[in-house]
Amino acid sequence: MSTNQPLPRIAVHSLTGCAGELLVILENLDKLLPFVHVTSFPFAQGKNEIRPVDITFVEGSVSQPHDLEKLTELRANTRWLVAVGNCAVWGCVQRAGCNHCSVQKMIDAVYGTNSPIEALPAAPLDHYVPVDVKLSGCPIDATQFLAVTANLLRDHLPYVTHKPVCLECKLKENGCVLIEKNLPCLGPVTAAGCGALCPSVGAACYGCWGPCEEPQMEAMATILSEKGYQLDEVLGRLQAFGAPKELFVRLEKS
Amino acid sequence: MDICYKFSKESFLDFFKLMQSFGQVHAPVRVSEQSFSFRPVEKPEQIAFEALRTILPPKKMFFPQRETLISYSGKEVKDHTPEPLAQVLFGVHPCDLAGLGIMDNIFSAGPPDSHYLARRQATLVVGLSCMPDKHCFCNSMGTDFPHSAYDIFLTDIGEDYYLQIATTLGEKLFDPKPDFIKTIDDQDNQSYKDFWTNRDKAFTSNFKSDNLKQIFDLEKDNPVWEELGKRCLSCGNCTPVCPTCYCFDVIDVASLDGNSGSREREWDSCQFTGFAKVSGDFNFRPGPVDRLKFWYRHKLHGFDDSYGLKTCVGCGRCTVSCPADIDDIVGVVLRLQASQNESKKDESA
Ligand code: SF4
Ligand code: SF4
Ligand code: SF4
Ligand code: SF4
Repeated sequence: MSTNQPLPRIAVHSLTGCAGELLVILENLDKLLPFVHVTSFPFAQGKNEIRPVDITFVEGSVSQPHDLEKLTELRANTRWLVAVGNCAVWGCVQRAGCNHCSVQKMIDAVYGTNSPIEALPAAPLDHYVPVDVKLSGCPIDATQFLAVTANLLRDHLPYVTHKPVCLECKLKENGCVLIEKNLPCLGPVTAAGCGALCPSVGAACYGCWGPCEEPQMEAMATILSEKGYQLDEVLGRLQAFGAPKELFVRLEKS
Repeated sequence: MDICYKFSKESFLDFFKLMQSFGQVHAPVRVSEQSFSFRPVEKPEQIAFEALRTILPPKKMFFPQRETLISYSGKEVKDHTPEPLAQVLFGVHPCDLAGLGIMDNIFSAGPPDSHYLARRQATLVVGLSCMPDKHCFCNSMGTDFPHSAYDIFLTDIGEDYYLQIATTLGEKLFDPKPDFIKTIDDQDNQSYKDFWTNRDKAFTSNFKSDNLKQIFDLEKDNPVWEELGKRCLSCGNCTPVCPTCYCFDVIDVASLDGNSGSREREWDSCQFTGFAKVSGDFNFRPGPVDRLKFWYRHKLHGFDDSYGLKTCVGCGRCTVSCPADIDDIVGVVLRLQASQNESKKDESA
């Protein structure tokens, strides 16, 4: 790369989320800085311009009208839009926990009647705008994040695995906690990426990365209920991180 | 013909030191209440002699879970064929030796896999006899006796180990013959035969395998498949644990500087929905039942080509590693065979 060619520009923004992704990106910013110009990253720097950039990373779900305004503006100004973290990709706990209550009732209960706060039902980015790359995680994995960035800087669509956590778990040669300890491990239906973090320390995966490709939710529910877990508890676990309702249609009918 | 000796179990430390003189010893160690793993060991006390099956089979020693194939920097491409140190793999049971033999054939068939072969050639394999549990069915698959893939094999004949040496690599280890190695007599040969006869009687899971090919062809629409397919999680646990599953994915890893990167391979599984997906979003095996049936057929019917090789060696790993309890190969084969007998009866009636 010749030195007088301008560096590719990136932007990093947050909607309704916990800033987990922002922290991971911040922690790894020194690795990116030689290769990119950070046009805006309000969490990390004072001077932020909204202007056309090459890559925009957005964390958080769309849960307020100003999230939607911000997202629309970011989309209009970027070549690649990358949803980072479970909130942006699936809607996470906001979507799972809040969307069966009325938005107005929640606002009244939390902020009192006549508050100026406005809210929308929590939704992932792709409910409103086209998303080029979805990188889930809770928070995202730094290695995956750097790999996605490296590919986009070359204009390659990155490969993000959607195989289940069980693969990473078996490659680490862990004893299976679902079999050996009858823990309600969701590894079989959860997307890999974390390196099977929880089963590697003897705990059940609770699905924070969101669903893997074509998760077998009914089979998972069958196996868990045979182990003595009640169906509503199983459903609660499976849906806790915002997995879309469509995946459970047949299960809820049964 | 193997060269045979014996040594007293009390001299196992001497035997262990001899293995160490060859290279780093890897042996089964306990990793959880129910599970074992081949790991590097420094002293005999670390070895779990009671281990029947490790979580991952010996293949991981030669075909690691993930490895770099090549890397590049600028225009320079670097080949990552390993230059492994000599090592010993101790405690390999007959089913796993058979699995290793199958993997040796597959990875040396042209074009040979230099990574696998380099590690394989640097390894001394020491087999060990075993007593089956309820999940072992190597006797049904004809893999219950050590035939090949070992350099040395130890059979437990009571106070001694009966020692078979099959290769020049193995022979070299005993040259000059150490004091703890003793010659065998008729009594020892008898004890050896008795061990294997008793072991033969210890199997509780059995099926006759002579009509396997037939039943997998004829029972392809048996309702058993739908029943199992409904339970399948597509978690893929059944394949990494199988001593003869060799499929891998190849992933190109770019680096931020745009000037360097690597090509990696990682174990893959035919049970994942993306495995047989091609462009246009078409999938040759779209549902769990298609994938499960494919896997059973691959393991027990054989490759659908001139090899005709059955690749199940009866180790029972898939049976104990399937969270849905549907890899009960013995149970499934018996059910399919029962349906066959039923339909035969119907025909003759
Ligand atoms: S512990 Fe969980 S993630 Fe690991 S293999 Fe078992 S079910 Fe899969
Ligand atoms: S194992 Fe499951 S719950 Fe734990 S970090 Fe990974 S995806 Fe999240
Ligand atoms: S199919 Fe199952 S029993 Fe047969 S070799 Fe593979 S893991 Fe062992
Ligand atoms: S057969 Fe069992 S281990 Fe294999 S993918 Fe299905 S549920 Fe997982």
